[in-house]
Amino acid sequence: MTAVAQNNDFDIYATFQQFLQDDQISPPLAAILSLAEAIVKSNAGTMFELVQALNDSAEELKRRSPNPISLNAGCELFIAFVTLFPHESDNFAELKKELEQQGRKYAAEAISFRDKIAELALGFIKDDSVILTHSYSRVVLKALLHAHKTKRISVYVTESRPRGLGLKTYEALTAAGIPCTVVLDSAVAYVMDRVDFVLVGSEAVVESGGLINYVGSNQMAIIAKAANKPFYALAESYKFHRLFPLSQYDLPTHNPNILSFPTPTARSAGQDSASTTAASEASEKSSANKGTSSSPTERAMTQEQIAKNPGVDYTRPDLISLVFSDVGILTPEGVSQYLVGMFAG
Amino acid sequence: MVPAPMLDVHPPVGAPNGEASSSQQKSQKQMTKAERRELQERQRAAKAAKAAANGAPSKPAAKPKESAPSGSAAKPKPNRVSDAQARPAAPAAARAAEKAKAGQAAATTDAMARTQARGLLIFSHFGLPKPVSAAKGDIHPAIVRLALQFSTFKITGANARCIATLTAFKTIIQDYVTPPNHTLSRHLMTYLSPQISHLVAARPMSVTMGNAIRQLKLEISGTDPDLPEQDAKDALCRKIDTYMRERILIADQVIQETASSKIKDGDVILTYARSSVVEKVLLDAHASGRDFSVIVVDSRPMLEGKRLAAVLSEAGIQCTYLLLPALGSVISEVSTVLVGAHSIHTNGAVYSRAGTALVAMMAKRHSVPVVVCCETYKFSETIQLDSFSKNELAPVGDLFSSFPNTKPRESLTLENQPNLEILNPLYDLTPPTCITAVVTEVGVIPPNSISSIPVALGRLL
Repeated sequence: MTAVAQNNDFDIYATFQQFLQDDQISPPLAAILSLAEAIVKSNAGTMFELVQALNDSAEELKRRSPNPISLNAGCELFIAFVTLFPHESDNFAELKKELEQQGRKYAAEAISFRDKIAELALGFIKDDSVILTHSYSRVVLKALLHAHKTKRISVYVTESRPRGLGLKTYEALTAAGIPCTVVLDSAVAYVMDRVDFVLVGSEAVVESGGLINYVGSNQMAIIAKAANKPFYALAESYKFHRLFPLSQYDLPTHNPNILSFPTPTARSAGQDSASTTAASEASEKSSANKGTSSSPTERAMTQEQIAKNPGVDYTRPDLISLVFSDVGILTPEGVSQYLVGMFAG
Repeated sequence: MVPAPMLDVHPPVGAPNGEASSSQQKSQKQMTKAERRELQERQRAAKAAKAAANGAPSKPAAKPKESAPSGSAAKPKPNRVSDAQARPAAPAAARAAEKAKAGQAAATTDAMARTQARGLLIFSHFGLPKPVSAAKGDIHPAIVRLALQFSTFKITGANARCIATLTAFKTIIQDYVTPPNHTLSRHLMTYLSPQISHLVAARPMSVTMGNAIRQLKLEISGTDPDLPEQDAKDALCRKIDTYMRERILIADQVIQETASSKIKDGDVILTYARSSVVEKVLLDAHASGRDFSVIVVDSRPMLEGKRLAAVLSEAGIQCTYLLLPALGSVISEVSTVLVGAHSIHTNGAVYSRAGTALVAMMAKRHSVPVVVCCETYKFSETIQLDSFSKNELAPVGDLFSSFPNTKPRESLTLENQPNLEILNPLYDLTPPTCITAVVTEVGVIPPNSISSIPVALGRLL
């Protein structure tokens, strides 16, 4: 099936990775660009074959990517666009060229979405605001840098283990001159009363009006609700997804390995404890060597233990105050109305 | 036809009450509420006494009237493939009996109905269940049969009632002959109106039936007047078929696929009473090899869950059956709650079998997602805030048990007594905050965005 509609030497995943090299391009945009490439490279003769080829490519991207949710949103958006595109031109090759150009144009325009969102968010940021954010998000960074030009703000950012992306945000903000402090993931409740509002980015905004983002966002939203602080999510419109998770464990990224308990057998228990002591000794040694740990007994999780933890989590719509997007500032209910209107039929 | 109790200044004609004339001394406005009530009671009692005094035949006249409908209700049971002669015979017998004892029978049932009305005043605004009156006017036998099936609860469920109604209408339309000097598009509607009223008299119309009939009327009025009669009738029947197929049957298939994808291996699904859509979803998920178990929660008086549990366990699904009060002990083991709906409102509230709201609220308390399966044709443009403004009462007595009885039916349930009124609302309203998702054929929608369904439909149609 794939062989019919595509050149065998066109690797969609490699193209995808290549597009991701550009720091400004997020996974859904990279997906759209790679699918646009796929259109040109494919030798489909009819619209039906083309859509089928695109679906196959999207499937492959999803399969090979560790976190497929956001790129799935981009794929679905582009395939819907291709399917509904009016094709009056008789020449199919011309049509393919047109589609590819539209794809590229959209991706180029989409870079500007972040500026629109930053402008919208500016109205909600007052002077001397203390903002809490989570991990690393390009759109939040843009919004904060934009606000810094005209207002005084200070930012708390969580470390966001295990990837530690919060430190990347810290470096970017400090370089721009914004006072910023990194906060432990477990200290979010401690700091919440000092904060004016919470601002997070998103992997995807789903049909229920809820948010899928790096693990820790749900926690932050629950604590914000308990402390009566507004929780704002920033999301470009291509991240709106027709998924509807009923709970955390209904996410496509959830697999049986996550939060599973190790199967206890006498032999492997002995081995496990041996390996964990070995690992902890190793990490102790390495941290002692680095000399960065304040206490000599700081431990770290093993890769295996980290693998049992989720990478993203789902925040319910009733915990979110507003979603800022390039199509406007929406309430979570508004998001689903937008999605139903856009994708139905 | 029970006239509203009248507070006339002049005593009602034919009620020679000494007391009535004496109470005329005070005008109605001067009397306190209690005194007015007393007057009313006295007038009623006098009327009843007069009616009773007018002969023993008045009581038995009421009995054959009621036993005639239940007699003909027993007939559909052995004879489902209809014997058209038997049906008109039974109402005809009832009509004859009624005509023979017209005055007294009317007065007695009058008094009896008013006795009931007095007791259930708080819920009387949504109509008391009445025995099906004899067909007035030119009612098609298919409608007569349907009305009896509705009033005796042989056909229950929003989808089933709508499909039965539309099928009956197809028969009527084919049998219909346009009278001379009339157009089909105008006259057919006036012909259908008394049929619909007869159905409504048997049992209040469901939202599904209402939506379907509204659509049918739209199609009828849009019929091309130049079309030959048989072609117009065939076109209407085709439109009815399309409506049933697209809005109900195919919609159910889409909902089946979407909802069964939410069922994972090892899940414990809880459902309430018997929804035709949920039954399809569970059977479909089982057929695609998913390994899950089902808890069926049920309640009186209808006990519909028994049938669902039987169907599911026959298909090989592991089922647990329990009554509503036991819900608290199993809710902590449930992964998803799957329920059906009678109708869904613009504010996202779901109107469904009484007890659904309890299940949803309990589930919400225990963080169990509640998924409602509902086709878009059940969408009602109104907003409903509580279960009182619109509801239906089940008739007193045991209509619902489907097994043969060794004891008389009356002994199986409580009966109305002088100081006891039985109240059985059939529906209740689940607030949108207790619902996680609504699965329709246009997608999975959160309850707060139900109002966007017409937008989504507008794109499809």
